[in-house]
Amino acid sequence: MAEIKRRHLKYELQNKKVKLTKADHVFNVVVNLFMVFILIVILIPVWSTITLSFRPNDYLGSNLEGMFLPPWQWSPDAYTALLGNDGFLDAFFNSFRILVGGVATALILTIPMAYVLSVHSLPGRKIINLIVIIPYVFNVGMIPTYLLVRDLGLMNHLSAVFLPGAISTYNCIIMRQFFVGIPNELKESARIDGCTELQVLFRIILPLSKAIVMTIGLYYGVSFWNDFFNAMLYLNDNQPLPILLRNILLASGMNEYVEVNAFGNAPVSAIKAASVFMSAIPMIVAYPFIQKYFTKGTLLGSVKG
Amino acid sequence: MRKLKSILLVVMAVLMALPVFAGGSKDTAKAAGTPDDPVTIDLWFGAAVTEAGMIPDDWVGYDIIREKLGIDLKLTMLPSNESDQDVRIQAAGAANELPDLFMVRRPVLTNLVKQGLVAQVDDCFEKMPVRTAQQYDASSIAHTTINGHVYGFASPGAIAKNEGLLVRKDWLDKLGLEIPTTLDEFIEVARAFTFDDPDGNGRDDTYGYGAFVETDATLKGYPGSRLWPIMGAFGVEGLWSFDSETAGLSIYKPEFYDFMVTLKAMCDEGLIDPNWLSYKKDDFRAAWKQGRFGMMYEQNAAYAATANYAPFDKNFPDGEWIVIDAITGPEGHAAIGAYDMNYRIYAVSQKAVDAGKLDKICELLEWMSSDEGYYLLGWGQEGVNYVLDENGIPVAGDLGDNAFTGSKGQVVTQLRNMVFYNGDVELASRYPTYVTEVSGKTMSALTTLREMQAKKWTSAVGSGTMPTPNADVQRYYDQSLAEFLTGAKELTPANWQAFLDQFNKIGGEAWNQAGIAKMTEDGLIR
Repeated sequence: MAEIKRRHLKYELQNKKVKLTKADHVFNVVVNLFMVFILIVILIPVWSTITLSFRPNDYLGSNLEGMFLPPWQWSPDAYTALLGNDGFLDAFFNSFRILVGGVATALILTIPMAYVLSVHSLPGRKIINLIVIIPYVFNVGMIPTYLLVRDLGLMNHLSAVFLPGAISTYNCIIMRQFFVGIPNELKESARIDGCTELQVLFRIILPLSKAIVMTIGLYYGVSFWNDFFNAMLYLNDNQPLPILLRNILLASGMNEYVEVNAFGNAPVSAIKAASVFMSAIPMIVAYPFIQKYFTKGTLLGSVKG
Repeated sequence: MRKLKSILLVVMAVLMALPVFAGGSKDTAKAAGTPDDPVTIDLWFGAAVTEAGMIPDDWVGYDIIREKLGIDLKLTMLPSNESDQDVRIQAAGAANELPDLFMVRRPVLTNLVKQGLVAQVDDCFEKMPVRTAQQYDASSIAHTTINGHVYGFASPGAIAKNEGLLVRKDWLDKLGLEIPTTLDEFIEVARAFTFDDPDGNGRDDTYGYGAFVETDATLKGYPGSRLWPIMGAFGVEGLWSFDSETAGLSIYKPEFYDFMVTLKAMCDEGLIDPNWLSYKKDDFRAAWKQGRFGMMYEQNAAYAATANYAPFDKNFPDGEWIVIDAITGPEGHAAIGAYDMNYRIYAVSQKAVDAGKLDKICELLEWMSSDEGYYLLGWGQEGVNYVLDENGIPVAGDLGDNAFTGSKGQVVTQLRNMVFYNGDVELASRYPTYVTEVSGKTMSALTTLREMQAKKWTSAVGSGTMPTPNADVQRYYDQSLAEFLTGAKELTPANWQAFLDQFNKIGGEAWNQAGIAKMTEDGLIR
């Protein structure tokens, strides 16, 4: 009955036959105002960062006044300085290499792992699942990981940043659940047609799993792109963007030492803001392309039946 | 799909093969230490300007060090943040992978010494006569002495006493006021600057004093160093008192309450820029350049260096700041602030000593302090990164980006903190005399520095090694003082005592006792 009512209401709303009451209007206004408020709260720091990054060197006002500085008074000095700095470009490229290598490695390792764990006929499946979950609950800690990376000869190698975390238990479990949800009949029919398990994975499962692969890929991508700690611990040179970004953000005392900073004559605060903004650009650019998959992927398991 | 599978398999194979090609460290224990068979020395250093980037592979210094010393130098730049440095060093220590020579903070050094990972260097100083004379005095050696042995080389760090109390002389002259010498006069001047329109614009837009909250856990206790000239008038500057009669946290001194009463009264009367509790450093510096206040506590270069003074010069061509003496309080106390000696410690790993590298490390450090090493590491190559002026001081000249102050030149001088010791040449090079663009004043951050250093300061040497409180105690300390100043909590003797009682209860007393024990142990009480 409730379902019928709901469908009827939806039909009427779509055909604009329902007259909204005064209370409905008030409710809509309040909700919209609230959403606008939330939007403003989100946009203020973003706008503040953007305007700060364009702050001219001779600007003297407060940060609040700076947010309303007209664009024709903006200065691109900070971006010019960053893009003209070899260190920034090298760090950006290193981060990009970690991103590509990390996501590729993580997906190559996570997909087969999740698929194997989703196969009910796998001998010792419960024990293997338990073994997978243990490190999720009990982290091995920094020193054993450091020793492992050292013994593998990965010190000062970019892969040291992403290999220790190449399989995230959390992501693996989410992917496994997705694979479990794919009708078994599809896999059975493929096997009857003579497919090996690898062929089942690549020809049947993966084409049906774009959403989860893209979503998990995005998760991995964001974590590798932002990874500071592993890079700080294992890399001596070829340092990626998070390391440089942290150094820039900590360089508050530059103008107390010499009269110019490492990035020319742009204000230190503008350099900081510009580097924050630029480091976020790849994620900002990538997200719209992945959004449709991401929405599907994150809804996995939220609807039963 | 088949194509994709093939690509994925190739990628996986390449990734799996990476460890095979990853470079391991080369054992150089048996190297002869000649240019043809150099000893490898791994050096983890604190870069001068970390964000400028790593020293390039084609840096001329590598070849010179190999040719002259028979050393193959491997450099690694440590993170700029101290806690990140600690993590990096401790992780390497736990894995017995410490480099041969590395920069380390004293608390971490102490732990590494306990673990037997750091070598004693007592005998090294006589092998480095030039460097020892320049950098390692008795105070420096005491800084790295643990249980009677020296476990590192402590070089001078940031310049001490490089801040001062500044007053707008043009405002004083306009209002017919004298330079304040006592606290009462200071408050009178602050009042006049606030209410008597010192800039003559007809608007009520100026304040007597400007500040922001600049604190740390060892030297600059809340409300921070920017209030030190006022705190100094009560003898409560610096988080810790090292005086034999009052050793311990300064907050326990009765005069601290008197200081709070005075500061609160100044805040209530509007004599201090009311934004001081929310200002960040950049806001504060923008404010004095906009002429918002007439007295402040500022660092020499942040005030007087070319780029930093230029906006003020443009806004107020007739404006003039002067460095004044510490103001004297009701009991005769006077101090600009409290100072500590900062050191950068470089330690040698036991592993390096076991590999027979200690002599080569001493040789390297001694070379760094030779004229050749000093200028190469400090300023780069003559004619490429610097030129000498008529006084023999390295200057940037017309070398553009390649100059030691330029974005490209800075990367080849990343090791300069290993050779600088705040000598005259360094300071003259760092702070050149110049003529301001608008008003044509002759300015020098070095002259300002010397003026500031000549004022009355209180020694708080050893503060950097004092114990720090846990986060709850620190938060309670800071927050309670802020509440008293803002009026959220009424500042009365009873409330003050209640605050101290609660502070003691949650761990303040234990912190104080640990500090006194540390002072006693290290002989810091004077």
